[in-house]
Amino acid sequence: MDKMSPQERFNAVLMGEKPDRVPINPFILGFAAKIVGIPLGDIYADGNKCFEAQFMCMRLYGYEATPMYGYASCGPWEFGGKVGFPYGEGHSAPYVIEHPVMDLGDIDELEVPDSDKPVGAYIESQKVCDRCVEMGMPAIFQGGSVFTAAAVVADTSKFLKWTKIEPKSAHTLLDKVSQMYMNQIEYFVNRYGPEKCVVFDGGPVEANTVISPKKFEEFAFPYMMKVHKKIRELDIPVTLMHPCADQNLNIPYYIKLRESFNWKGIYAWIFGPETPIKTQIEKFGSHDIIGGNVDPPSIQTKTYEEVVQLCKENLEQGMNSPRGFILSPGCEFPPLAEPIKPMAFLEASRQFGVYK
Amino acid sequence: MVSKEEILEGLAKAVIDGDEVKSEELAKKSIELGIDPYEALMEGCNKGMAKVSDLYECKEMFVPEILLSADAMYAAIDVLKPHLKIDASAKKPAKVIIGVAQGDIHDIGKNLVKMMLEVAGFMLIDIGKDVPVDTFVNKVEEEDADLVAISSLMTTSMMYMEPVIKKLKEKNHKAKVIVGGAPITSDFSKKIGAAGYGKDAVEAVKVAKSLTGA
Repeated sequence: MDKMSPQERFNAVLMGEKPDRVPINPFILGFAAKIVGIPLGDIYADGNKCFEAQFMCMRLYGYEATPMYGYASCGPWEFGGKVGFPYGEGHSAPYVIEHPVMDLGDIDELEVPDSDKPVGAYIESQKVCDRCVEMGMPAIFQGGSVFTAAAVVADTSKFLKWTKIEPKSAHTLLDKVSQMYMNQIEYFVNRYGPEKCVVFDGGPVEANTVISPKKFEEFAFPYMMKVHKKIRELDIPVTLMHPCADQNLNIPYYIKLRESFNWKGIYAWIFGPETPIKTQIEKFGSHDIIGGNVDPPSIQTKTYEEVVQLCKENLEQGMNSPRGFILSPGCEFPPLAEPIKPMAFLEASRQFGVYK
Repeated sequence: MVSKEEILEGLAKAVIDGDEVKSEELAKKSIELGIDPYEALMEGCNKGMAKVSDLYECKEMFVPEILLSADAMYAAIDVLKPHLKIDASAKKPAKVIIGVAQGDIHDIGKNLVKMMLEVAGFMLIDIGKDVPVDTFVNKVEEEDADLVAISSLMTTSMMYMEPVIKKLKEKNHKAKVIVGGAPITSDFSKKIGAAGYGKDAVEAVKVAKSLTGA
């Protein structure tokens, strides 16, 4: 039987205290649409519907994570490009229709939006954050990753090639993207106050199936540092990090990031299933909260009992991490998973994630 | 005077280095010197791409470098192709329909697989991204393909692989289907009845070769 409310449980982990059992962040975005019976595209096209669907899901299942707005292709819309919403068959997230940067010449013309108003996806994100803050929940908004955003602001293949043959231009673009993120973060902090803000930083293009750790060091790390310096300057207490997919070779740079700021601030890490929980605890566990990494495709394709087992394994490996553990998938909860599947996380936490 | 060996080695190196200008220049030079364009292609470009594939497999080369190598290879092929003699008696290459599953617009992985299959001697027909199930099936029938390669990066689009396999089986078509992409596993590929699974582009080529006897 639960002895804490979801909010008490989550706050306990944030404060470095032991909750009654492991809290759950099921990383639900698009999945919420199916639960409340709206088209998946509405989750991204309408911030109010995004909030309501996720809030309903949160109440229905009783997990701890609060609503948020975000997606991997953040960037193009904010710089004046066009994105499509996932209304089509098989779609799962917004996708780029028109990249603001198609050629090198476009980079110099690219104007960084100011910090006096939300732009692009941040307009919808603000609706979610407003509703959350009104109800005493944190405002969670996107602050990266800069590298992934730059790779979609520009045509992705071209950008990846520029990192090799036109590094100066690639750096110019990355710098502008980092400035956009910093401006939007500043806007949200001014609106809600830093104590109510949580920054979400993560993206898949810097995965080591795409780029080398050396390229990460040269093109991703400096801009991640820049944004996180701003996060620290603004005194935002909590940062949610999601190094998406296989980023094992980039881990030394994520450690360097935390060391550079003397491990200040509360950081929670959600790595992909490719990064063992044991490794995460060794590298970050003494200072930071470790999120789980239950394999998302398995949540969709395996049975309820098998998903409970996967959650159990995650809990066994992670729940005694020194600074705390949150049970989570290694990426977004699959939108097409059966409605019963979040219950597997709850059941696993109640059976195998209780602290004595 | 530049020797034939130097030209072929230079072509391979230009492909490995992703030097599009150099590969085009050397391809032109090979024609001028009367080198058999098929030999230039196989012993120059393809040798270079085979090395790229090895370096990718052992994580010494990554996507940006491979994309540049592909550009260099295609630049040379554009020069060599018009000079290639068609040997009517030669065994026809296996025909592959390649595309990204319905709902998915992520095509970098598909493009890498396409390029590596081409290098391995397959004839590729690229039907793009966000490809509806029936488009796959119709194209396979129209081209009488030997193999279908479907990629997916999302958990939503991966669900559109199985209907392609089912429809082809219903039609008793000979084409075998191979699948790949971030959310795909060997178990999933077996579950949906795929003939093969490649965890990356290099493995996709190995699987395609074993399925077609190429």
